Amino acid sequence: MRRVTTIAAAGIATAALALTATACGASSTQSSGPTGSGKATAKSTMKVGMAYDVGGRGDHSFNDSAARGLDKATKAFGGTPKELTAKNTDGESDREGYLTDLAQAGYNPVVSVGYAYAQAVKVVSAKFPRTTFGIVDSEVPGKNVDSMTFATPESSYLAGVAAALKSKTGHIGFIGGVNIALIQGFQAGFQQGVHDTKPADKVTVQYLSTGTDLSGFSSPDKGASAAAGMLSHGIDVIYAAAGSSGTGSIQTVAGTKNAWSIGVDSDQYQDPALAKDKSHILTSAVKNVDVAVYDLIQSVHNGKPLTGTVAYNLQNGGVGLASSGGYLTGIMPQLNAAKQKIISGAIKVKSTP
Amino acid sequence: MSVTTAPATAPKSSAAGGGRRKLSFPMILVVLACALIAVSAVRAITGADDVTSSGQVGGALEMAVPIGLAGLAGLWSERAGVVNIGLEGMMILGTFFGAWAGWQHGPWIGLLAGVVGGMLGGLVHAIATVTFGVDHIVSGVAITLLAQGATEYLAKMWFNTGHAARIGGSPKQSPNIASVGSITVPGLSPWLATVEKHHWFLVSDLAGVLGGLVTNLSLFTVLAAVLFAATYFVLWRTPFGLRLRSCGEAPVAAESLGVNVYRYKYIGVIMSGGLAGFGGAFLAMVPAHAYQEGQTGGRGYIGLAAMIFGNWRPGGLAMGAGLFGYTDSLQLRNGGPAAHALLLLLFILLVALAVRKFYRKSYKQGVAGVISAALLLVWFLMTSTIPDEFVSITPYVATLLVLSLSAQRLRMPKADGKPYRKGQGK
Repeated sequence: MRRVTTIAAAGIATAALALTATACGASSTQSSGPTGSGKATAKSTMKVGMAYDVGGRGDHSFNDSAARGLDKATKAFGGTPKELTAKNTDGESDREGYLTDLAQAGYNPVVSVGYAYAQAVKVVSAKFPRTTFGIVDSEVPGKNVDSMTFATPESSYLAGVAAALKSKTGHIGFIGGVNIALIQGFQAGFQQGVHDTKPADKVTVQYLSTGTDLSGFSSPDKGASAAAGMLSHGIDVIYAAAGSSGTGSIQTVAGTKNAWSIGVDSDQYQDPALAKDKSHILTSAVKNVDVAVYDLIQSVHNGKPLTGTVAYNLQNGGVGLASSGGYLTGIMPQLNAAKQKIISGAIKVKSTP
Repeated sequence: MSVTTAPATAPKSSAAGGGRRKLSFPMILVVLACALIAVSAVRAITGADDVTSSGQVGGALEMAVPIGLAGLAGLWSERAGVVNIGLEGMMILGTFFGAWAGWQHGPWIGLLAGVVGGMLGGLVHAIATVTFGVDHIVSGVAITLLAQGATEYLAKMWFNTGHAARIGGSPKQSPNIASVGSITVPGLSPWLATVEKHHWFLVSDLAGVLGGLVTNLSLFTVLAAVLFAATYFVLWRTPFGLRLRSCGEAPVAAESLGVNVYRYKYIGVIMSGGLAGFGGAFLAMVPAHAYQEGQTGGRGYIGLAAMIFGNWRPGGLAMGAGLFGYTDSLQLRNGGPAAHALLLLLFILLVALAVRKFYRKSYKQGVAGVISAALLLVWFLMTSTIPDEFVSITPYVATLLVLSLSAQRLRMPKADGKPYRKGQGK
């Protein structure tokens, strides 16, 4: 008797799933019609597809910044965005699946947030030539791909200058989320900034995870341990480029007198979750992903989608240092001098350590 | 490593107690002293002061507690004969409910809510496995998946709306939770810190280790330690414990003696859920100050490994958890150079093992030990640091090594994971 009920339940569940699946299919074919046939209709029904990286909306950092761009665009142009978030366990095929789903359902542009989508964007963008794809932090070839790159080594260089000027012990820490080329760029710029300012200062580097293990971007406890270790070695300024793991570092640093944190991606001084610790946040190396995302959505809205590599750097304000809290006031002249030198090309910022 | 060579025919009570008597208290002290000497020697030779610094030991303890609690949770369940692979899910429930009550009412209420949340997970597991006879692994995996999904869904509703969202909540994160109090032994702790600073051989190392154990100790950590002692006492020194363990060894025999096996299994699994929930709440409130999606990071499974490492006993399990916590903390705090120093420690251990094997006249294993020790020494001498990729796998390599070296001696509860229906024995 029990088996019969189980089979019946399973049957009903399968039927329900199949029904929803076909429903999705139907709506996607309908909606891809107008987006495919002409750009004129795009104005009234803006359908933006967002695929976030691990952490997603609410990571108080990188993904949140992209989400702000989306919110601003939604306010300006209307429409209903669709947001998906990658998980730690996702492989290449899962990510391709997210983008395919969005493109198939008629979302345009499809914005993928994070370098981890690079391969997926390459594959999927070739299949949907009429959809504009955006990728943050990576360069992907393709006529319908907007590669948004950020000169984070440049902002990290400025963070390094600030760290060197503020450190009393001459010993500075860098915490990287995952040991990959992108984060090594932060490290390289930061180290160069410190050494150009105070050649005798020492920078200690610690990564939280390596390779394909992306947990280092979302483990505040790991960030806290790494920071505690650094503080016990006399390090008094810590720059954490580690996604939401950075909050652990910032909270630990806030428990130590005369120690400073440098935030990353968003202006972390303004983050309500860190309100208690903000008196120790010297500055943040911001990366205006929101501007880039907004630019892309706007361009699609206007019928002239951005494509190719769009570089956001110090010169065009795509990256920079946040000055909230006013802790930088005393060292502003040096920071501005360094900034001018980078813009003029007098300083070439390295992107590999 | 405790030597448990229980004969297969031995009755359950002596099998459980037999290994214990061999490892007398002075023996444990000798082993501890040897370990300390080896570690101090490594520190003196390599200059990696962090190997025994109080900060490192304190950090290791903090990393070890959630793993230890997960292992203790597994112990309660498996001693009652139910495999609990759903620990991860129960920990997730603990982090979520702990943080949910914690940010509103403070850490102690949060702890209570976390424990209750874990217990709910345990109750579901007990109903599925004990009452309905579902396969233990299937039910455990289902609970983990369910807990992940449910918390993700609830977090969107509870942490991303109203007041919670304004003070820093998001779908992935709860608002901040106030810190739970911590204790530092006055007088002793600063004195130990001064001794540690001198870097005297052995003395400073001892001071560092002790200092780490008495400085800034979270009250939750103290509570966890008490739970370890209490578990040992309850399960091995009371009639209740004997009955519960009998359900894991020979439920039919227990039933014939009038033990209500179902009830004891329920108690074991619900306790298990509660302890896992405590582990989760600890994670959300001590190392971090908020719930974070994916915070448990597989610690439930690592806790199970620690339990197996400890031969289903609290003492061994605490050692296993300590080992995980130590390597975890070492690689996060100091990375390459400190892990490099561990190579030398591993070398010393392998040499000791080889000597013992030769002494016992098992020459093949002895030679294998010597060769691997020599290879390690070469590696140690030729390099000055370890690549990051290797450092991060240190805890897992250590586990594999220890498990493969001690696997033959492990003995799980006899009826662990076996289906049991009332009245089977008739």
